[in-house]
Amino acid sequence: MKVSLSWLKDYVNIEMDVQDLASALTMTGLEVESITNSFDYLDNVVVGRIVEISPHPNAEKLKICRVDTGNSIVQVVCGAPNIVENILAPLALPGTIFPDGSILQKCDIRGQVSEGMLCSERELELGDNKSGVMILSGTPETGTKISSALSLSDFVLEIGLTPNRSDCLSVIGIAREIAAIQKLKVEYPVRQQPDRNKDIQKYTSVRIEAPEHCPRYAAALVTDITVSESPFWLRKRLISIGQRPINNIVDITNFVMMECGQPLHAFDFNLLAENRIVVRTAEKGETFITLDQKERILDPEMLMICDGEKTVAIAGVMGGLNSEIANSTKRVLIESAYFNPLSIRKTSKKLGLSTEASYRFERGIDPLGTVNALVRAALLMTEIGNGKLTGGVIDENPLIHDVVPIELSISETGRLLGIEMDRENIKSCLESIEFDVENTDADTLKVTPPSFRVDITRSVDLMEEAARLYGYNNIPTTMPFIHAETIQPLKTLVLRDKIKNIMTDLSFMEAINYSFINESSCDQLRLLSNDKKRKLLHVLNPINEEQSVMRTSLIPGLLENMRRNLSQQVRNLKLFEIGNVFLSRGQDALPEEVEMAAGLWTGDRYNSVWYAKEIGCDFYDIKGIVEGLISGLNINNIRFTKMPFELCCYTKQGYTAQVTIEGRPIGLVGEIHPEVLRNFNLKQRAFIFELNCNTILDLTNKAKASQPLPKFPFTTRDITVIISKDIEAMSILEKLNSYGEKLIENTQLFDIFEGDPVPPGKKSVSVRIVYGSAEKTLEDNEVNGIHINITNRLLREFNASLSA
Amino acid sequence: MENTIDQICTEALREIETAKSKDSLNAISVKYLGRKGIVTQFLRNISKLPTEERPKAGEKANEIKKILEKAFEDTASSLNSQSPEAHDYIDVSLQGRSAFPGSLHPITQITRQICDIFTRMGFDIAEGPEIESDYYNFEALNIPKYHPARDMQDTFYVSDNIVLRTHTSPIQVRVMEKRKPPVKVIAPGKVYRSDSDITHTPMFHQVEGLMVGENISFGNLKGILTNFVHLMFDEKTSLRFRPSFFPFTEPSAEVDILCVMCRGNGCRICSQTGWLEVLGAGMVHPAVFENVGYDTAKITGFAFGMGVERITMLKYGIDDIRKFFENDFRFLRQF
Repeated sequence: MKVSLSWLKDYVNIEMDVQDLASALTMTGLEVESITNSFDYLDNVVVGRIVEISPHPNAEKLKICRVDTGNSIVQVVCGAPNIVENILAPLALPGTIFPDGSILQKCDIRGQVSEGMLCSERELELGDNKSGVMILSGTPETGTKISSALSLSDFVLEIGLTPNRSDCLSVIGIAREIAAIQKLKVEYPVRQQPDRNKDIQKYTSVRIEAPEHCPRYAAALVTDITVSESPFWLRKRLISIGQRPINNIVDITNFVMMECGQPLHAFDFNLLAENRIVVRTAEKGETFITLDQKERILDPEMLMICDGEKTVAIAGVMGGLNSEIANSTKRVLIESAYFNPLSIRKTSKKLGLSTEASYRFERGIDPLGTVNALVRAALLMTEIGNGKLTGGVIDENPLIHDVVPIELSISETGRLLGIEMDRENIKSCLESIEFDVENTDADTLKVTPPSFRVDITRSVDLMEEAARLYGYNNIPTTMPFIHAETIQPLKTLVLRDKIKNIMTDLSFMEAINYSFINESSCDQLRLLSNDKKRKLLHVLNPINEEQSVMRTSLIPGLLENMRRNLSQQVRNLKLFEIGNVFLSRGQDALPEEVEMAAGLWTGDRYNSVWYAKEIGCDFYDIKGIVEGLISGLNINNIRFTKMPFELCCYTKQGYTAQVTIEGRPIGLVGEIHPEVLRNFNLKQRAFIFELNCNTILDLTNKAKASQPLPKFPFTTRDITVIISKDIEAMSILEKLNSYGEKLIENTQLFDIFEGDPVPPGKKSVSVRIVYGSAEKTLEDNEVNGIHINITNRLLREFNASLSA
Repeated sequence: MENTIDQICTEALREIETAKSKDSLNAISVKYLGRKGIVTQFLRNISKLPTEERPKAGEKANEIKKILEKAFEDTASSLNSQSPEAHDYIDVSLQGRSAFPGSLHPITQITRQICDIFTRMGFDIAEGPEIESDYYNFEALNIPKYHPARDMQDTFYVSDNIVLRTHTSPIQVRVMEKRKPPVKVIAPGKVYRSDSDITHTPMFHQVEGLMVGENISFGNLKGILTNFVHLMFDEKTSLRFRPSFFPFTEPSAEVDILCVMCRGNGCRICSQTGWLEVLGAGMVHPAVFENVGYDTAKITGFAFGMGVERITMLKYGIDDIRKFFENDFRFLRQF
C-alpha cells in the first residue's frame, strides 16, 4: 500500500519528520518498507535556458533551440508557441520517464537531432497548463534539478500491510493510525447524506438474487456527465501513488477507493439493458470479456453483476468491456457494494485475476461504508464532470451488519501481556483508534470496535490492539516460571546426531540436498519397474522439472553433488547425507517418510600425500566405513552378503553387498554401476552405501552390559586352508564361530591369496584363532587337541586342504 | 707405501675431527673402513705387495685401522654426549598420516547451537512429518481455506489436502494434541515454499518453539528470545519487537535484532535500517488451543519461529542462500 504524505495531510496533521513517522508506523504494526519522493520521476529534468532560437529547416511549426543545461549547450526541437530567447524552462533530458510511462530518448525530429524536451506544466504533471512550455520565474540556476528549483517534495511511504489490516488499505485508514500515534483526531471529508427524495427509483433498480455472496449493494445515478481528463489535483493524487489517470469518471472511483477503501465501479448507464442491475451467480460455462479484453470462463460459484439481459461485471473483481465508461458516456451508474470476502477470494483465485478491488473485498471492507463512499464519488462527479445527481441512492441491504460489543477483562489482558495495565491505559489505547469503550464492572470493559475493523472479533484481538499501541517495547522482559519436568529425548534425533558425528569422525562431509528430484532420476538409476523407489509422490506445482517429485533415494542427490564437485576439479570426495525419502501411497494420502543415511566415496583413498601412493578407493574402503559406522552405533552381528545380480540396479553386479543386521536388511553398499555413472555424466568410479535409519533404530535399543576382563593369558594358533575360490572367505569364520567351542575367544582372517602356488580355481585363506579360558591358563596340548579337531572339521566341511 | 697409508690416516683423522653429526661420521666411517672403504682396500691390496713388504705394511695398516676405529668411537661418543637428539631427527614438517574429521553441514551446526540453547532452557525437541495434511499445516493453525493469510506462504501442493509443510508450526499442534500443558518444545526441520532467488530456496530449515502453561506471558516470550539472541550472537545484540500478524498467534510480533554487521549504523545487509528481521513470534491464538482441546481460560503460551539459513548466513557472513544446497566441497570444508 502506497500513500503520499501530502495526501495524508488532507486528513491528519503531521508534525513529525518523515523518518520518525515511518519508524512510528513500523513500531505500531504498519511496516514502512520504503520511503521515496513522488517527484522522483523528475530526476532527469533540469532548469534550462534557451540561448538561441532558429527556424526548423523542414517544419514550419517547429523551432530549433539551443539550450544551456548548466554544463553544456544542447539542441532541442520544440513546437511550443511561447518560447523566446533567454527564458528559463524545464528541460527533460534523455532517460526521463514521464508519468504516462513513456521514456524520453535522444531522437531525430524531421531531420534534426533533439537532445531533450522543453516541457509544459501538463507534460510534467505539475499543473493543467499545456498551452506552451512552463516558463520558470525567479532566478534558478541553469542545470539545477527542477524538483529543487521548484521545491517539489512529497514523500511516498510504501507500507507492507499484514492480511488482517484491511482497514488500512486506504489513505484515511493510515491517517487513522497516524492520528492515534500523535493522539490527534482524523479530519474526515465532509460526509453528506444522500437526498431524501428517491427519484433514482424511477430510473433504475437493483435486485440481489444471491444475498449470501452480496450482503449489500448501493448505487447512485449521475446524468449529463462530461467525460474528460481529470483536473490536476486529482491526477496528482493518483500519480503520487503510482496510479495512471484515465478519465475523470474512472479517476474519481479510484480516488474514492484509495481515500476510504471502498471499491467502486462506474457503469455507462445507457449500456445497461433495461437500465437495471441484477446480482446473481454465473451459469455453468458462461463466458465474459473483462475490461482487460480477456475472455473469462465462469462457474456457478462466481458472483456476477448483470443488467436486464447480460453480465456486465464480475462482482468485486473486474468490470466488462460491454459497459465501460467511454468519452461518449453521458449517464453513469455508480456501484458501491459489500461482497462476501470468501466469495470474491474464490473467484479471484479461480480466475487468477487479482485487482485493487478484489484485494480489498477479499480482505473485508467496511460493511457500513458503502453509502458514504457512494455519495462522495457521486458529488465529485457532479463537481468535476458537471453531472447532475439523481435524487437519492439505492441501498439494498438484505443482510444487515451488526457490530457486536466484546467484553475485555483488564486482569486477563495484564496476565497475557505480562504487565499491569490499568483501565485508563487500555481505554485510551482503544479509544485512540475509534473503538467505543464502556465500563462494565471493576475488571471488565465493553468494547465496540468500529465497523471498518472487521478483524476484531474476540477479546484477544483487543488485547493485541492495546499492546501494539502501548508499545511492545514498553512491555517488561521477564522469564517464565514453568514446571521443570522433561521427557526422553527423541530416539530418531539421538540416532541421527550419532550417525552424523561418527560419519564426520570417519572424515566424511555432510551434504544437504533438496528433497525433490527429477522424475527421470528413476531411469537414470536403472530402477526396475517394480522397484518401490518408483512410488513417486508428485509436487503439483513444482518450480521446475528438476524438482518435480519427492526423492525416494538419497543417491541421485549425492551423485549430482559429485558431478558438481568434479566440474570444480575436486575429484576426491567423501560425502554423506541423512534425510527423509518419501514413498507414495497415492497422491491423496500422506506418504511413508523413511529416514535414510547414505554415503559416497570417490577418487583416491588418500589425497596426494608423501606417505602413500595415489590409489583409487574401492569397495572395501566404503564397506569399512559402514562397518565403522555400525560398530560406532554399538550394533553387532552386521552381515554383508552378495546382492543377487537381478537386484542390483544402480550398483554394479558382483560389487554390491546387502547389509543385514540380525537377519534384517538395512541397506546396501557397493560400487555405482558404470551405466549410472554415464547417466549422471560422471567420469570416475564411485562407491556408495545407503542405509535405512528407521530399521537401524529398531536394532539400537539394546542395553549395554559389561563383560569381565580375562584373567589368564591367551594362546593363538594360525591355520591356512586352501578352498574353492567361490566360497566367501568370511564363511570360514562364521563356521568356526558356529562350532560353539567355548575356548575360542576370537577369530580373525588375516590373509587371503590367489595364484601360484595355489592351484587355479582355489584360494588360500589364513585365519588366526585365539584360545583362552576364564578359569585357567590353557596347556599347549589342550589347545592343540581342540585346534586339530577344528581344523579337520573345517577341511571336511569346506572340502579344503591345508596349504603346503 | 708407508707414506700413503700415513697420508690416508692424516686425511681420515682430519675428516673425523670436522664431522658434525652421527650421519656424516657414519659416512666417513664407511668411506674408510667400510667393505669397499679406503683402508679396507689397502689391507686387501697388501697381498699384491712383494712378500718382504707385506708384514710391515700389514702391521702398519692394522695399527692405523685401530687408530681410526678409536677415533670414530671417541668422536661418536662425544657427538652423543654433546646433544644426542641434535643428530637423530626426522622431518617434522611433513604432514601427518591423515586422520582428519569431516565436517557437519553449517545448517546442522547452527541448528544444533539453536537447539542446545533452548534445551538448556528446558525445552524438549519434537519432530513431525515433512509432508502434511492441510489440517495440520493450515486449518489447525487458524488459517482456513481461502484465507488471505495463505498468500503469506507460497505452498507446494501434492493434492488439494496434502502439502509440503510450509513451516514447522504443524508440530506445535501435533505435540499439544498428545500432551497436556505445561509444554515446552522446540521443533527443528525442513520446510518448503515455492520461492527461489538469492535469499530464498524452495527448501529451507526452521526451528519452531512453543511454551504453554499457566501464566505464560508476552513478557516471558520477550525474556526467552532475548536470552536466546544474546547467547546465539552476543550480549550487545539488542532486540526490537514489532507488531505483526500470524493467524496462529495473537498478539504477534516480528523480532528484529540489531544488525550484527554494522551494529545499527546501517549497511547493505540490513538495507540501511540497522535492524535485521530474524524471528516471528507471538502468543498462541486461542483458536489453536481450542483446536487441540486446551482450556483457554487457564492456559496461555507463546510460539516463535526462525529460519536457520538466515541465522547461519548472518553468523558466517554467507551472502547467497543457494550455496547451502550445492554441497561444494570447497564451501563445506570451511565450517
